[in-house]
Amino acid sequence: MRIFSSGLYETVVLGSAAMAGVVVVIFLLLVLRRHLAERQVDANKRIDAAITRSYLRRVAGHRPETDDTGWTDERRLAAVSQIQALLRGGERDRLMQIAELDGLLAATVRRSRRWRRSERVNAIRLLQRFGSELCIARLRELMARDRSPLVRVEAAFALAAAHALPPPRETMRILRMTDRAPSRLDSALLRASVPDYREQFVLLLEDDLPPVWRAQLIDALGWSGDVAVIPVLEKAAGDEDPEVRGAALRAAAKLGHPGAREWIMAALRDPDANVRVQAVKASEALGLRDAVPQIRDLREDSQLWVRLRADQALEALDPGYDTKARPPLARNPAHDLSNCA
Amino acid sequence: MTWSVVQDIAANAIVAVAFFCFIVVFLRNMIGLAQLLIAAWVFATRIEPSEGARELWQRYADLALPITMIAPAYNEELSIVESVKALLALEYPEHEVIVVNDGSKDDTMGRLIAAFDMYPCERTQVAQLQQTQIRQTYASRRFPNLLVVDKENGRKADAANAGLGFARTPLVCVIDADSIIEPDGLLRAAEPFMHDNGRLVAVGGAIRVANGCTVKGGSLQKIDVAKALVPRFQVVEYLRAFLTARVANAQTGTLMLISGAFGLFRRSTLVEIGGYRHDTVGEDLELVVHLHRHLREQKRDYRFAFIPDIVCWTEAPAALKGLDNQRARWQQGSLETLVRHRRMMFNPRYGRIGLLAMPHILLEDVLGPPAELLGYLVLPAAALLGLLDPMMAVAFFFVSIVFGTGLSVGTLALEEQQLRRTPSARSLIRIGWAALLENFGYRQINLWYRIQGVRRFLKKDGTWAAVPRLGFGAD
Repeated sequence: MRIFSSGLYETVVLGSAAMAGVVVVIFLLLVLRRHLAERQVDANKRIDAAITRSYLRRVAGHRPETDDTGWTDERRLAAVSQIQALLRGGERDRLMQIAELDGLLAATVRRSRRWRRSERVNAIRLLQRFGSELCIARLRELMARDRSPLVRVEAAFALAAAHALPPPRETMRILRMTDRAPSRLDSALLRASVPDYREQFVLLLEDDLPPVWRAQLIDALGWSGDVAVIPVLEKAAGDEDPEVRGAALRAAAKLGHPGAREWIMAALRDPDANVRVQAVKASEALGLRDAVPQIRDLREDSQLWVRLRADQALEALDPGYDTKARPPLARNPAHDLSNCA
Repeated sequence: MTWSVVQDIAANAIVAVAFFCFIVVFLRNMIGLAQLLIAAWVFATRIEPSEGARELWQRYADLALPITMIAPAYNEELSIVESVKALLALEYPEHEVIVVNDGSKDDTMGRLIAAFDMYPCERTQVAQLQQTQIRQTYASRRFPNLLVVDKENGRKADAANAGLGFARTPLVCVIDADSIIEPDGLLRAAEPFMHDNGRLVAVGGAIRVANGCTVKGGSLQKIDVAKALVPRFQVVEYLRAFLTARVANAQTGTLMLISGAFGLFRRSTLVEIGGYRHDTVGEDLELVVHLHRHLREQKRDYRFAFIPDIVCWTEAPAALKGLDNQRARWQQGSLETLVRHRRMMFNPRYGRIGLLAMPHILLEDVLGPPAELLGYLVLPAAALLGLLDPMMAVAFFFVSIVFGTGLSVGTLALEEQQLRRTPSARSLIRIGWAALLENFGYRQINLWYRIQGVRRFLKKDGTWAAVPRLGFGAD
């Protein structure tokens, strides 16, 4: 019986054979490549060692002892990447200057213009290691103008690592932060930026920003290391949005300054459970013994996570606290306050 | 009814079965090819984990969501101490390890108490999801981030649920006690949560077969490929499953399985659905399907991610004895899940999960195995009897064997080009041979095991036989 013609089956047979044949050939070529690479391992190690030695001698001001012809840019870059992680200060700067003189930077900048996103990201990581003015300029260009949001974020991270991020308003605009919900990487970028731009963060808080982003800015202020922001945090602790109040408590805990003591203790009575949890954590971080009676009361809180955090904080703050004497914690085992954990 | 009419009916039935088998196998392989191409595209365009981001992550360790590793353990006295040490040593800013001793009959508990200086403690269970009794919880004097929960015997699902109930962190990672996690596996698996803006619910990671590797102190010392054929066949299967199918499914938003050996989940979402189901032998598949169903019914915006890098190594059954149970159990679990969530099948309310992913499970796990096995018998027979064009039988052979080999070898090529975790060219050849040889016997035996799974499902067989392990180092 024929439903489909024989021609169709022949096509299936030939197609299957062709597909399998092509794939097997590709696989065998990859095996051959691996085999050749394995045979070259010792020779490659010798070349890499020679490149490393050559750069180290040049950094120290000596003449390189070997002829460098035949060393590919890729090999040199790999060697420079490895060495730069081991060097510090002036030696590291000299190494990067020599690498630039050898044309390695130009090759990396060219790579940062390639069509493939992954190639551009790899180039960004190298540019971050070079760290010269030219690299920073190229990274800024990538952060501002690359067509891929992922590449822009990657460039921002490279700039953050080099303490060269633009002001926070520009960073937020370029990365279109306020158009979306914040991620943890956004928090990291803002925290990295705050030591250089503390005043601008405070100014930004005067803008009409969504509460989730105000909370991010407040959280970042905790990483400024500057106790002058305590009044700003105090004001945020009275904000109507619980996320902003919680961020103010997190920031105060990070700063660890006793100037925040009163409003942290007041937050132990906050109507929002998340804020009460943050207040308990901040009290523990600041070692607020005065807060122990209030925290004891929180062991009877209606929310499980508040009771758990209160219990943990008491173990740290109150040396005489008997964990066996605590009231039963799991009143409603199924109750789950996910945001608090 | 005359004899010739009966003959006609029989002939038509045979032809219909033959065509059905052919179409099912053809479709499965076409989907396999599409998955391979999607995976190749994902690998070619992916951005590898950034060192820059990791630097910032280290600087702001509190941004990394704390994780609880939940390791259910049953009769693991020989390896539990080393496994727990390896879990405690994982690179991650803040992680807790909860070992759930699931009523072991051996000295698992004694070994834990002695090795980690454990003492009875009162730990509040945040959510009670297990069905068995908790006997005692133990804290360690040496490792503040270790908790041991001693409970009556249930099954892995019950033990995992008990651990989940004690977890307090936003993320939980459910593993097998003998899973070997890569030292930075947790960091890599948690990285998608750093980019997440609240949608991500779970992350799966690629798992590899550890048979043949050198394992010491619960961590992987040297990667190698087992000499025995059965584990080598499974290396090919795992590569196909994790490097092509899961990667492609995650890319298309249809990831339906996060392996029980390693899965990272938002704790709150797992608690919402009551954790793992106790009445299925395929709890890992059921969990992910249940999550999809729950989140879609609640109209929540969510996603699952998959890390193509290896995060975990596991010991596969070293011989057919053991493999039979495992494969029958997987098949039974798939059927149980499909029946339980049959409402989702072809239901537009569940979006691509109902319209694509569930029918794919139906094709792959319900129709596929019997169709392929039957096809090996019916098509040649029908061709010999002159009921079918002989070219159709030849085409069936090419689609199932030759095309199937192409897909397996294609996955190997993808691994070599993108990940390069196979130790040597020689190992690659050995796995390549396995990809070819598996088509002649192993694959058919597997199909038979899966038919056994169908039989168990129909009998509502709820027994759970442990897969015998030889231990690492045996080959």
